[in-house]
Amino acid sequence: MSDSILVIKDVWKTYEIGDERIEALQAINLDIEKGSFISIIGHSGSGKTTLLSVIGGLTEPTQGSVSLDGADVWKLNDAGLSALRNEKLGFIFQFSSLIPTLRAIDNVALPYIFQKRNNTDIYGRAEKILSILGLSKKLNSFPSELSGGQQRRVAIARAFINRPSIILADEPTGDLDAQSESEVMEFFSEINEKEKTTFLLVTHNMELAGMTDRIYRMKDGILTNGG
Amino acid sequence: MKIYHIALKEVSKRKIRTIYTSFGIAIAVSMLISVMITASSGQREVFQVIARYGHSLSIVPVDTQTQQSLKSFGIGTGTYIPEASLPEIERVYQSAIIAGWEKMGALIFQEGTIGGAAFPPPTFAPRLYEETTVKGKDVVAGGVVLDKELIARFWWDVAEGRFMEHEGEVVIGRLFAVGTETKLGDTVDIGRNKMRVVGILRETDSPDDYMVFMPIKTLQTLFNKQGKISMINVRAMCPKCPVGEAAVEINKKILGVRATSQMEIATAQSQIFQKTAALLVSFVVAALIISSIGVFNIILGSIHSRLRDIGLLKTMGASKGQLIRLFLYEALFIGITGGVIGFVIGSGLSYVVGPILFKDIVIKISPKFFAIALLLGTITTIAASIYPATYASKIRVAEAFKSL
Repeated sequence: MSDSILVIKDVWKTYEIGDERIEALQAINLDIEKGSFISIIGHSGSGKTTLLSVIGGLTEPTQGSVSLDGADVWKLNDAGLSALRNEKLGFIFQFSSLIPTLRAIDNVALPYIFQKRNNTDIYGRAEKILSILGLSKKLNSFPSELSGGQQRRVAIARAFINRPSIILADEPTGDLDAQSESEVMEFFSEINEKEKTTFLLVTHNMELAGMTDRIYRMKDGILTNGG
Repeated sequence: MKIYHIALKEVSKRKIRTIYTSFGIAIAVSMLISVMITASSGQREVFQVIARYGHSLSIVPVDTQTQQSLKSFGIGTGTYIPEASLPEIERVYQSAIIAGWEKMGALIFQEGTIGGAAFPPPTFAPRLYEETTVKGKDVVAGGVVLDKELIARFWWDVAEGRFMEHEGEVVIGRLFAVGTETKLGDTVDIGRNKMRVVGILRETDSPDDYMVFMPIKTLQTLFNKQGKISMINVRAMCPKCPVGEAAVEINKKILGVRATSQMEIATAQSQIFQKTAALLVSFVVAALIISSIGVFNIILGSIHSRLRDIGLLKTMGASKGQLIRLFLYEALFIGITGGVIGFVIGSGLSYVVGPILFKDIVIKISPKFFAIALLLGTITTIAASIYPATYASKIRVAEAFKSL
């Protein structure tokens, strides 16, 4: 039995804007094992965010299939897709992604609300993750009371709350200073090692990519092994 | 934390939007509640008057010619019931009441008792009305049998002086006294007789306030109407007496008279209340529909401004059903706020509108109006939010995140 967590087969994504056809993804094939720590690098507009979006069940590919932990993502119905996002996936976006009317700790606990499983200590776990990320004094703060970096760390904490199988992170340390960036990457490594969580990071930061086990390169919608 | 907590936090954090949306609903709800409270209080007032004054009948000649100004009060002059028919009317009334009780399943062991309990006999208070002129003004003089009159109209009382005790004495209505500047102890000419005013009646909001009263025998003699009466007021003296049955029997068996139960009058008035209220309610329902269109627009606008949040919730695993629930909870909380505000404003409004529509109305606000306000507020907002909520649930994440 294969130990793959993510298998992408011949994925294409074409955007048609007027008469113009833009091939955002071209014949992408990828097989990622459980517990991998991978990064995809590339310039802005190279298609790396689109790829994450297709993997996460957010953007439907024009062609091809994506299998995540044995489930064919784009053959799932709405309920199946929701359950997959909730239980298997953790998203970290490059933009501010907190719900402005909820406190930091509520934002972290949010994915749990959509879960059918019972987990009474979710706030304990949320508090623990926020503390690791240096936000123990900001639990009850609203997003508007947090700096950009603090908001990013809350969003990172939220991605881990449901113990996902794979983390899809789009420029995860974008708003962070060097020290915070290092702490966050350390946290990622620890989770990767202890909980065997797979990481797929998209970044244009070579230094960050260098901290992962394997680097892929994206250019004009084509994915190549970056070495 | 549950889905409704997110909704609650959303509506409580976005206070301006919540209050603005709630207020649209609250205005329509308050209008409806004020109409309902006023109509219900007015209707209750009518039945309370009947309950207070006892079930009673008015018996008048069939072809009573009523004065236009007194028509609504059933005061007629010029046609008469023979005084001699009074015992027959009493007999028909009594047997109809007993038959009515029996029809309702009551056990009549002997006359004057229901199921062994005694009930007092009814009071038949005859009156004679004659038009005359006093101090140059047209007035209706009323002849009464005082002891019976005081039972039949037990609210009768003198504000000044006393009731007539001797020949040549009269009591006058308060408004007659004011209109003709007549005071206690004054002498007034009625027909060819001079009569002394010994009492002024307390105001009753009835034609009695404009009349002059004397013993019926005196009036009969003065106007040469011996053996004639203009109407009989019957006080049943028992609650829930089947006076309606008695009215039917009297109308059937006694020729030349028309008996009307006060309950029938009350019912007719009640129906007018209900129809008026129904008309007003239909206007308010239109207002409610307009409000719900406002809510629809605000919720839809709110969804458009929160596309990014909706996308985020979807990436966290929110299903269509959960998103619909989230927005319907928000609508529910806005509806509850609108319902509560609407109830408070509507209740206050009924204290202003009620007395304008019905003099001396006692506004009574029961918990059912609070429940109605809440129900209306919530149903309206939820109904107006179903489409926006469904629309939100169908938004694709990629559309929500233009940046992704």
